[in-house]
Order: sequence, then structure tokens, then C-alpha cells
Amino acid sequence: MPTPTPIQSIVITLIQCLLVVIFVFVVVPLTVFAERKVLGHLQQRLGSTRVASGHVGVTGWMNRGMWKWGRVPVLSYWRGIPGLVADVLKLILKEDILPDKADKFVFFIAPALSMVAAVVVFAAVSFVPGVFFIFPTWFPYVGGLPVSGGIADINVGLLWILGVASVGVYGIVLAGWASNSKYPLLGGLRSAAQMVSYEVPLAISLLAPVVLSASLNFGEMSARMAIGLPFWGLVPQILGFLIYLTCGFAETNRLPFDMPEAENELVAGFHTEYSGMKFGFFYLAEYINMTVVAALASGFFLGGPWLLPFGLQGLVNPFLPAFLSWFGEPHAIFFVVKIIFLLFTYIWVRGTIPRYRYDQVMSVAWKYLIPMALFNLLLAALVRCFAV
Amino acid sequence: MEHPLETIGRNMFAIFGVLALCGAAFVVASKSAVHSVIGFLFAMLCIAGCFLSLEAEFLGMAQILVYAGGIVVLFLFVVMLVEMSKKTEKTVFQLQSRYAVVAVMFGAAAFVGVFRKVIFGVASPDALVLRPELTQGLSVARQNAQALSRGLFSDFLLPFEILSVILLVALVGAVVLAKTERV
Repeated sequence: MPTPTPIQSIVITLIQCLLVVIFVFVVVPLTVFAERKVLGHLQQRLGSTRVASGHVGVTGWMNRGMWKWGRVPVLSYWRGIPGLVADVLKLILKEDILPDKADKFVFFIAPALSMVAAVVVFAAVSFVPGVFFIFPTWFPYVGGLPVSGGIADINVGLLWILGVASVGVYGIVLAGWASNSKYPLLGGLRSAAQMVSYEVPLAISLLAPVVLSASLNFGEMSARMAIGLPFWGLVPQILGFLIYLTCGFAETNRLPFDMPEAENELVAGFHTEYSGMKFGFFYLAEYINMTVVAALASGFFLGGPWLLPFGLQGLVNPFLPAFLSWFGEPHAIFFVVKIIFLLFTYIWVRGTIPRYRYDQVMSVAWKYLIPMALFNLLLAALVRCFAV
Repeated sequence: MEHPLETIGRNMFAIFGVLALCGAAFVVASKSAVHSVIGFLFAMLCIAGCFLSLEAEFLGMAQILVYAGGIVVLFLFVVMLVEMSKKTEKTVFQLQSRYAVVAVMFGAAAFVGVFRKVIFGVASPDALVLRPELTQGLSVARQNAQALSRGLFSDFLLPFEILSVILLVALVGAVVLAKTERV
């Protein structure tokens, strides 16, 4: 296998970045669409499960047949798509209003900060161990060279992820301040307090995988957590997953922890004064953050690119018959499927659980989640000490 | 003849250093305190970049995590809540500027005096190590984090613990100061 020159490796890294951005911009609109559909079904919202583009196309023709036949159409997967298209068009075409008294520089930089902090996390995420694919030899300039499964699988990957995610707070705080208005400021402050609080149990719950796998590298961690743990490693993994997921909901400001934009208390929170594509950036950043949290949860707890979650793969693999060995190997598709399932869980929870009060949110973090995360860390240390 | 991109790669430290200085200059020169905090954040991130270019990746990440993610957020909170009057400063430099200029010049002279050899002289081939026998274990470590944790939790455990006790004292002091009004 030829070794790339520095310039070629830069080109390959740029291609990887492009692939990740494409992945993100495919997943995010699909998540928005799925959110409309799933919430529509969960809460009997009429629009998003029924609006369709009329009677065009094959599905339209078949649906028309179904209605005539006196049945509700089964082929309604794409119903609600016009709503999504209208939403995106509105974001792009709407006038970009700048409040008179706003601080222009900060008002402009805040959405960019949230967006960048959300996307850059993916640099340290490794989608599949080793080589992802090899460029075919006819490919110009980089033909025949391997592309690894992560952009930069650095040995402090977890710290990079936590550090950059903590920079994301600035977007919200600065947006609240720059709008120069009451509700955005309150929303921004509340959200900053919430995110700073939930970062503590989040980081502690991620320490359990660090202790169990003795590494800070994303790829190594997910590999050890998936196939390198003894049976007792299950307990801290499952408990840690639940704690991590709860904190992840709070970190991404999703229901039941969507304090920053609690509509009936704060209008729309920190982005009250934002419109057009600046608001669109906050919107995108929220969904990218959801994807990031889902990627970390599936990487550290759900086995990453291996099929079975919670380290079960390592227990099952020795007994796997030869014709099923494809399922014992890591594949990027498993990783993506887990991310998509967790994104569905986000929507599921949003449709099910009502919002907490603000003091309840804080007491959940400080009185319950932090002690539980510490206990989980202790369990992980015991497993590491006696069972590995 | 090396490619210009390779030259850039070799000089990452200088690039990040200059960017950090630009951020620091922005902190001093900007009229709004919140803008200063943003410049400070930028400078902190660039210093993390400097650490990374020196292959001190753990230190770089700790820089982002602790300074950019924690301390500057607190700065921002204080500045935001204090600066509610939205009164921006009329002049860039304040009344104390005369004394400040003298102090800065004195500091710069002292800096050049102390670091004259470092800046203009030839670098020493060996790192200065106070206790060479302790560094034997560090060469086993595969990563920054391992070397650092070995240093902190086995070789220099007592100084580390004493430092954390000092931090605890500061913490208790802060709680006492904040509590007295209410009692």
C-alpha cells in the first residue's frame, strides 16, 4: 500500500471532512422530517402525517386509489414532506432581521460559534476501526490510497470532544446577550447554567468507559468497550449509558430539559430575536448536537461499529458460527443505524415526557445524576480492578 | 525544495502564536468588554493550538476544556451581568495608561533581559530535569496523559495533594464570603 505524501494526506482529510459534512446534512433534514412524522403519530398532530403534494407521482396515484377504495393509504411515508420543504425554504428566504440595539458583531458570531462547535466534534469520532475504504486507482491524485474511518483519531479524542462541546455554550450565551432584550438574556443565562451543570455528570459518566478501556482515543475506546470487556463490564455500561443519555438530552436542550426555549415562560429563549438563516444555524446546531450525542452514546456504550450493544459482541463472538462471521466484524453501517435509533429515541422522549420545572432540572443534575455517575465510576473501577 | 504547505506545517507554532497575540491585542483594544472576552476566548484556543503543535496534546485539550470551556464562561457571565448599562468606553486607553506604559516597558526590558539567551542564543540539546531518576518511568508511557498521570499520582503525589488542599481552602473561602450576607 503506497504511503501518501503530506499534500495527498491533506487532500484525503479534506475529502473525509466533506464526507462527514454530507453525512450531517443528510441526517439532519431526515431527523427534522422524522420528528414531524413521529410526533404526528405520537400526539395525533394532523398536518405532518397527512399533508402531501397532491396526486402526483406513483405514491400519489396509489394513494388516490386507496382513498377511492375507502381505505386510509398505507403508502403515507412521504406525507409531510411539503411541510419540511416549506420550512427549509422559509429559513433560507426569510428576511434576516437585525435588531436596532443589538451588538452587531456578537449577534453575527453567536450562531456561527454554535454551529462550528457542533460540527468540529466529528473530527475525533471514528466511524469504523482501521481503513474505511480505498480509493480506486483511476481516482485522480489520491488513487489507491486508504481512507481511515475517522478524520483525526487522536489519542486525546474524548478530551477534544468534551472541550469543543463546552465551547458550544458560548453560542447560546452570546446570542442571549447580543439580542439586547429581556427574554433572550434570561434564556441564555438559564441555558448556560443548565449546560454547565449537566457537563459535570456527562463527563463523569464518560469516565467509566475511560477507566474500563484504559484509553482516551475514540476508536480504541469503542473497540475495547465492544469486544474487550468481561461479563461484569455490562453493569457499568448499562447504568452509564442511561446517565449519559439523560445528560445528553439536557446538553442538547431537548425536551424534557428544553429550558433555554421554554415557550410559555421565555417566548423562544435565546433565539427570540433571530430570524432567517441565523436562526437556521441554531436550528442546525441543535440537530447536529443531537447527532453528536447519539454518535458518542453508540460509540462508547452501544458497541460502535460492532453489532451488539454493551460489550455483548465480545461475549458472543467466540460462539459465532463461521457463516455469520460478517455480523462479528465492525461495519460503519451498524454505527449509523445506532445513531439513527438514538435520534428516534430523542423524538420518542419528546413526544412522551412533559417539560420539567427549572429547579427540578437543576436538582436532577446535582442531587441525583452526579452521585449516580460517581457510583457508576466506582463500579467501573471495581470491574477494572478485579474482572479484567 | 519543500512544498509551501509543508513549510506552513512546520511553522504551526509561530502561526498560532501570532494569532494568539492578535487575540490578546483585541482584548486590550476593543471597547466593549464582551468583545474582549471573545478575543480572550480566541487567544485561549490559539494557545491550545500552540500546545498541540508542540505535541503536548493533553495540555492542549486541557487548555480548551478548562480555560475556553470553563473559566472564560465565568468571565463572560460576570462581564454580561455587570455591563448592563451598555456604556462603552470613550477612549481605548484609560487614565492609568501613563503608569501602564511605564510598567509594560519595565516588564518588556526585564523579559528581554531574562530570556535574551533563549531568544537569541542556541538551544540546549538536553532538557533541564530536576530529578532525572524520576523521568525513567515516563519514557514507558505511550501517551501524554499516561506520562502526566504517572507524574501527578505517583512521583509527585504529595505536592499535587498539597496544591489541591490550597484550592479547597480557596473554595471554602468563596463559600464563606458568599454566605455571610444571608446569615
